[in-house]
Amino acid sequence: MDNFQSKFLEEAGDLINQLEQALLTLEQDTQNPELVDSIFRIMHSLKGGGGMFGFENISNYTHKMENMYDLVRQKKLKVTREMLDVTFESADHITSMLNDDGSKAAEIAANEAILNKRIDAILNGDSEVVGAPVTIAANEPAADGVHTFYIKVKPYERIQQNGTNPFFLIDELSGLGKNKVNIFYSSIPDFENFVFDETYIWWEMILATDKGEDAIKDVFIFVEDDCEVNIQNIADADIFPMEGIEPLLVCRHDFPFDLDKIKSLAQAITALEKAKQEKAAKEADAGDEHIKKFTKESSISGIRVASEKIDQLMNLVSELITTQAGLNLYADNHKDNELTRITESLENISRQLRDTAFSITLIPIDYLVVRFRRLVRDLSREVGKEIEFDARGAETELDKTLIEGISEPLMHILRNSIDHGIETAEERTAKGKPAQGKIILQAYYSGSQVVIAVTDDGKGMDLQKIRNKAIDRGLINADEQLSEKEILDLIFLPGFSTSEKVTNISGRGVGMDVVKRKISDIRGTVSVSTEKDEGTTITIKLPLTLSIIDGMLVRIANTDYIIPLSVIDTIFAVEHTKIEKSFNNIINIEGVQYPFYYLRDEFQIEGEKPEREEIIMVKYDDKKIGIVVDHITGEYQAVLKPLGKLYRQQDVFSGASILGDGTVALVLDTHKVINQFTKYNDN
Amino acid sequence: MDQEIDSFISFKLGEEYFAISVSQVLNILQLVQITKVPTAPDYMKGVINLRGTVLPIIDIRMKFGMDPIQYQRDTVILVLNVVIENEKVDAGILVDSVKEVFEIKKEEIMPPPGIGSKYKSKFIEGIYKMSDERFVMLLDIDKIFSSDEVVMLKETIDSEESSNAKEIE
Repeated sequence: MDNFQSKFLEEAGDLINQLEQALLTLEQDTQNPELVDSIFRIMHSLKGGGGMFGFENISNYTHKMENMYDLVRQKKLKVTREMLDVTFESADHITSMLNDDGSKAAEIAANEAILNKRIDAILNGDSEVVGAPVTIAANEPAADGVHTFYIKVKPYERIQQNGTNPFFLIDELSGLGKNKVNIFYSSIPDFENFVFDETYIWWEMILATDKGEDAIKDVFIFVEDDCEVNIQNIADADIFPMEGIEPLLVCRHDFPFDLDKIKSLAQAITALEKAKQEKAAKEADAGDEHIKKFTKESSISGIRVASEKIDQLMNLVSELITTQAGLNLYADNHKDNELTRITESLENISRQLRDTAFSITLIPIDYLVVRFRRLVRDLSREVGKEIEFDARGAETELDKTLIEGISEPLMHILRNSIDHGIETAEERTAKGKPAQGKIILQAYYSGSQVVIAVTDDGKGMDLQKIRNKAIDRGLINADEQLSEKEILDLIFLPGFSTSEKVTNISGRGVGMDVVKRKISDIRGTVSVSTEKDEGTTITIKLPLTLSIIDGMLVRIANTDYIIPLSVIDTIFAVEHTKIEKSFNNIINIEGVQYPFYYLRDEFQIEGEKPEREEIIMVKYDDKKIGIVVDHITGEYQAVLKPLGKLYRQQDVFSGASILGDGTVALVLDTHKVINQFTKYNDN
Repeated sequence: MDQEIDSFISFKLGEEYFAISVSQVLNILQLVQITKVPTAPDYMKGVINLRGTVLPIIDIRMKFGMDPIQYQRDTVILVLNVVIENEKVDAGILVDSVKEVFEIKKEEIMPPPGIGSKYKSKFIEGIYKMSDERFVMLLDIDKIFSSDEVVMLKETIDSEESSNAKEIE
């Protein structure tokens, strides 16, 4: 595939993302013309790009969608549920056309035929309107919007003899739009000259209506001969919202409206509004151009870079950090002031470069949220539940590798919430909850971690049920005493699935164990908390970045290890004899008892044990556990490298790092170290 | 060109000669300090730094059920590109010494030995008789590294040897 085509594919992916976003918003706000415009523009861009880069099928298809939304723009067609559905499915359809290598041509063609039929049906008006009530006004609005009219009515004295009540005329005119009426009583004669069935009053009215002058004339159709009517179009806009005119519209009976003043002011204000709108339209057009010439224009705020180039940059920065460590070591050994100075300033630059390079790889979680919204929308309709999805902190940024890695587990968690968590509307109402369920995705920074929590207000997990299932599956013994947390952790075990029946939504053969494994793969942790009938929260904690950690460099025998600083609580020096004498791996330090692991033994490292050792207290859940090493070298910025496939069984190491002298240090995952040796020692 | 010619690199493990297709050998390295990875099986010697990446090192002698390698002046690391579960992985093997690179025509390769041979024939692509009458075993390195075998090989050889022993009984 040539370069331009792949560029188009990338852009088209973005456009479809924007399309889904716009559709989801339009669904909430069906009357919003800006959203309709943006959908129209997206279709237009897809059409243009498709034609230019040889995707004729996309160009042809989007042409139809473009037409449909053009009709909506012109208000000849209203946004309907069916229209939204078809557009959503069209987004999928376009995506499959983009990704097709030719093998699915028949499937795509069949799908397109169905969609085309549905589009035709919409164009023929065979669908129900969303949001706005389906009312067809008796008076079709005039095409050119609201105008303001001045109407002066002077009934002839005899008008009532005809059976006409002149006040009904006012009523009828009032039905056309907002108005102000000024009634003139001054011609009412003295009592002796007053004739009961004669009319002496007259009035003038300012009326804003979108029905047009003809509609006003229609009101007078039967009284044409009985009164003097003067209708003037005083402004091509609704003057009532114009603040400047308001004082002129006060009804002071017997005093006529200052028509000239109203007219001139209305004209000035209308012109001003128009100028403003034109400016906005120009800006919107610029936006349109922006989409067309995305690559050129977007250089103002940012540039698009192939992710391989970013990977390459990151690799180079990693190597730079490693080389820097080598230089630091050399400078330390050579006590040369000038060398030390240069090394220090170079180190400063390296750090800044590292931080900047890292920030490039960060992507806001918002990138995934559109996909999730769509998932919640589609699935909740599929299972017939009403669910609101709320994403908070979507601006939180994560490493792009993490974004890729977290997408699938989160999708699975959302599926679970929709399918098993949230109850049906009836069940919810019976429980006294709002019929509409709610799923909240919340993301925020916490220290060197990013926390993503998915909360639903569904039925919660039944601990007893989980326990029973785990016993059934042979995961625990029937008499095993487990804390609430331990029971909840059972759902992450392979072979555990809480769903009683396999549905096609969450029961796709993957369970929470896969979610957990995928999250562990990116060095994250997952936990669950639940409250019966209140809901369930699944919390994922991820490291900010995958490739660099601040660590403590330690040594056992002749091997270097790195322990992440984030887990270290305190460090104590201990005499080896104290460790020898300790009972059941519990050590008393400053009056506190700590369990500890003697890594030399756990790792079966032979050789002479030093007299003085160091014990590092690491955080393990809410406990502190000691890890004993020979010697602490110092703080170290570790560029994390994978240990590779062959060492995947050795998961107590989260990776390796290359030290300044070129040797390899192993990075300890203390959580796993403690887990593994606890299990090992228990058996 | 129809005559398929492949180049192999031969090396010694103890007194025996083995060879691997040069297309799978990326590099030959002098022995450097190996960082041992605790908790790993004994034949997985540890990792080294290969130009900024972490390279796992395997003691191939131990995989074949021989004694662990004794580091000597001639000991080298052959860096191989192997396919494990459809994924390309770089790994180093420790060999006692590297001998030579030679070309062979495909038709000159003899089939692997059958039952009763010292090495599991599954891991041997064929046997080649050198000009000096020595036999070289051409290794199927992907199979040797393929995941289960990495863990199982020694046991397999052991059990096969013991089952062979039983047959002899």
